[in-house]
Amino acid sequence: MKAELRANPPTITLVQNPNLFTTPSAAAATQSRSVSGAALSGCCLSNLDGACIEKLLLHCASALERNDVTLAQQIMWVLNNVASSAGDPNQRLTSYFLKALVSKASRLCPTTTFNSAAAVGGARRLMSVTELAGYVDLIPWHRFGFCASNSAILEAIRGFPKVHILDFSITHCMQWPTLIDAVAKRAAEDGGGPPLLSLRISVLSWRPNVPPFLNASIEEVGQRLTNFANYRDVPFQFDVVHHHEVTGQDSNLLLGQLNPSTLKLRNDEALVVNCQNWLRYLPDDEDDDHEEDDIRRSIPSSYGRDSFLETIRNLNPCLVTIVDEDCDLGGSNRSLASRITTCFNYMLIPFDALETFLPKNSARRLDYEEDIGRKIENVVGFEGARRIERQESSGNLWRRMAMKNGFTSVPFGEDTVKEVRVLLSEHASGWGMKKDEEMMILTWKGHNYVYATAWAPLDRAIT
Amino acid sequence: MNDSTISGDSPTGPPKPTAKKKRNLPGMPDPDAEVVALSPKTLMATNRFVCEICSKGFQRDQNLQLHRRGHNLPWKLRQRSSKEVKKRVYVCPEEGCVHHEPSRALGDLTGIKKHFCRKHGEKKWKCDKCSKKYAVRSDWKAHSKICGTKEYKCDCGTLFSRRDSFITHRAFCDALAEESAKSKAENPNSNEGKDVEATPPPTPPPTTVVPSVFPLQNPEILESTTRLLEDATPPSLTNSTQPSCSSSTNGSSSSNVFASLFASSTSSGTIHSRTNGFANLFHSGNDRSAPPSSEPISLCLSSTFGTAGQERRQYAPAPPQPAAAVMSATALLQKAAQMGPAASNASLLRGLGLVSSSSLNLNSNGPREWSGGGPHLEPDSLGLGLACDGGSAGLKELMLRTPSVFGPKHTTLDLLGLGMAAAAAGGGSGGGLSALMTMPPFGGGGGEYGGEDMQ
Repeated sequence: MKAELRANPPTITLVQNPNLFTTPSAAAATQSRSVSGAALSGCCLSNLDGACIEKLLLHCASALERNDVTLAQQIMWVLNNVASSAGDPNQRLTSYFLKALVSKASRLCPTTTFNSAAAVGGARRLMSVTELAGYVDLIPWHRFGFCASNSAILEAIRGFPKVHILDFSITHCMQWPTLIDAVAKRAAEDGGGPPLLSLRISVLSWRPNVPPFLNASIEEVGQRLTNFANYRDVPFQFDVVHHHEVTGQDSNLLLGQLNPSTLKLRNDEALVVNCQNWLRYLPDDEDDDHEEDDIRRSIPSSYGRDSFLETIRNLNPCLVTIVDEDCDLGGSNRSLASRITTCFNYMLIPFDALETFLPKNSARRLDYEEDIGRKIENVVGFEGARRIERQESSGNLWRRMAMKNGFTSVPFGEDTVKEVRVLLSEHASGWGMKKDEEMMILTWKGHNYVYATAWAPLDRAIT
Repeated sequence: MNDSTISGDSPTGPPKPTAKKKRNLPGMPDPDAEVVALSPKTLMATNRFVCEICSKGFQRDQNLQLHRRGHNLPWKLRQRSSKEVKKRVYVCPEEGCVHHEPSRALGDLTGIKKHFCRKHGEKKWKCDKCSKKYAVRSDWKAHSKICGTKEYKCDCGTLFSRRDSFITHRAFCDALAEESAKSKAENPNSNEGKDVEATPPPTPPPTTVVPSVFPLQNPEILESTTRLLEDATPPSLTNSTQPSCSSSTNGSSSSNVFASLFASSTSSGTIHSRTNGFANLFHSGNDRSAPPSSEPISLCLSSTFGTAGQERRQYAPAPPQPAAAVMSATALLQKAAQMGPAASNASLLRGLGLVSSSSLNLNSNGPREWSGGGPHLEPDSLGLGLACDGGSAGLKELMLRTPSVFGPKHTTLDLLGLGMAAAAAGGGSGGGLSALMTMPPFGGGGGEYGGEDMQ
């Protein structure tokens, strides 16, 4: 599979020395000049496949961690000869990893004038709302979760006259037009059950500082959504949950404020909680291993995933949808090496997928990849609380929800599965879908990419 | 109520060009018909009946017989004897499919074949325009003809092939807001039957507008420069002393630090580079002072693999070559550029306090001010050790080969000197990179770099 993903049709065939990266070469260092020269001349950089690049990245990271600057430089040089953000998927991916390593290198010593704060969240590309609408549909990364969640939500709210959706996501409500559309269509059909009297969507004013960035306020987005709902004759209300004095990383304060009154919950409304690419930005809850992480300790009380889920469960929702990237980068103790390996293989997916249908110089593609590059930089370049990309695998999530937090899985219906299949059939043929236990997993050439799950509190009180 | 804007409306998407006509439930065959069940292989076989003369295959015996006539072979066409006609119907080989049941068999072989392809086969025909995929070639051809004409169209003029995308766009498009406002004014109670005027697109398509000024401290430079170079946007920065190559200004301004990064631990030398940006930089230095002693060999060692064009470009005023060449290095090192572009010996690693033995080539040409208020740059702070006398021939070849290898990325030869330097510093006699490349993770013990890391 790796080979498939990384197939890199060489345009020029050069002599290749297949032993270069595989043969134990204790003697290599002591070889005569000419021999090493020959070895190098046999090495064709274009033939550095993903596995070799991955090794070089690991090497470089290791050298940086050991303060072996000379070696790190050398590897960076080699990598730079491979990297190109306009090349094939491997080269593009490499360029972002290299960037992340350089950024890490420049941050290793605090005495520089380098302003590391600018490294994250500094550069942002603002999109218009309609640009964003196109962005989320470039590949099914977002739409898969939207589609599965909306379909599950539509099913769960059947029969409820009033519905309140609490939306935790990073895509600025791009999920909701299709739900509004589906609600309108169902109302128009016969046998759609009792009409929906009110649909309310609440979003937080806080979101993680990650792309995509919008050039409009959340209120403006809400206004447009309301307008659209009116147009479709769906009774609709949009609320923004504001916070008090929450800045920057202190999502703790805001999330700690979540309760029925701040969220303006009403007893006659069925509550749905929607988490799209959200949980990974919440820190792990405090556990036994007290890390030497100063930043994290400075946060008074960490409001982690489990606390969040507990809060959610106590709101007694009729459905909780959770969608996130199926990749294991979480855990504050994950070593840099294992993160690089995991991240490199995982992030190749979008690069490979984009390659199938967009030209190498496509601006949309470059923008999209750049945003992935930011993720890579965060995963590779930062440690501790400043590493906010903490994806956990679908298996982990399942354990977390079912074992720790008292949720039970709500299986996706046949219609949902069908809808998702139709969606994927409209994208590149590499996309597929697995139904795994009670979750749906978006796959690219068989590799897990994004999971979609639906849950309900185990002890949900019927009101 | 909402479909006034949806042309070709259908529940799941744009109308399928074939087999979507309203008609009776397909597959209600004559009960007397002979039911034929073919295996998938047979069904899909295109050459069940092969001509023994020319090996041409046919799907039907009738066709083969017709073909045989051309070879003057005996042939026999089945005669339609009105009595004998036994109607045949075909079932789908896929178990569980509705057409697997004889009661829902289809009346002709082509029909069942297309059904089998569409419903149970791989969709290998993809529309270039909208990426929609089809299993049957004729479906794909039919779609290709109408693709873009019967898709979803927003009033703003944007076309969509997928309903999800259309709905999402529609919800947020200015066209809807304006339309709603207008219809409210006209008739607050009705959204239907109104004439919808096309409105201009509310926003330009995704663009790659970049600021025309690049303050180097601005982190945005990372992104913007990348895009700028990618798009080969006309230069927005020009330097009057460098009319020949203004498009690479960005590259060169950042390369400064990049170079320093890699050169930090080397002896003095000169950078020789074949990329626009760096070449240009080099030139600019020469404008004011004699060129530092250079080792032409380092430039011309180009290898059997480098293309002549690229070599010639080294000293010539660089033509506006697609700037992708410098991009990778540029994008990468913009980051580094943030830390101290103004320092004449701004070595990233020196800045980090990690480097001890660097002696940069500082020709102090005096600060050069880039238009746009960027920081002062001293081209010669690029001092890169071209320690090629170490005999690292392999390295040179390696580096020089690069350009021809990486398609759009013409060269990263800005790193030529750097690599040399690195090798010289690391391995002394060309062993540096070799050692690197053949080092433990890829093999056994690797000399001075040790093998303790990351197996």
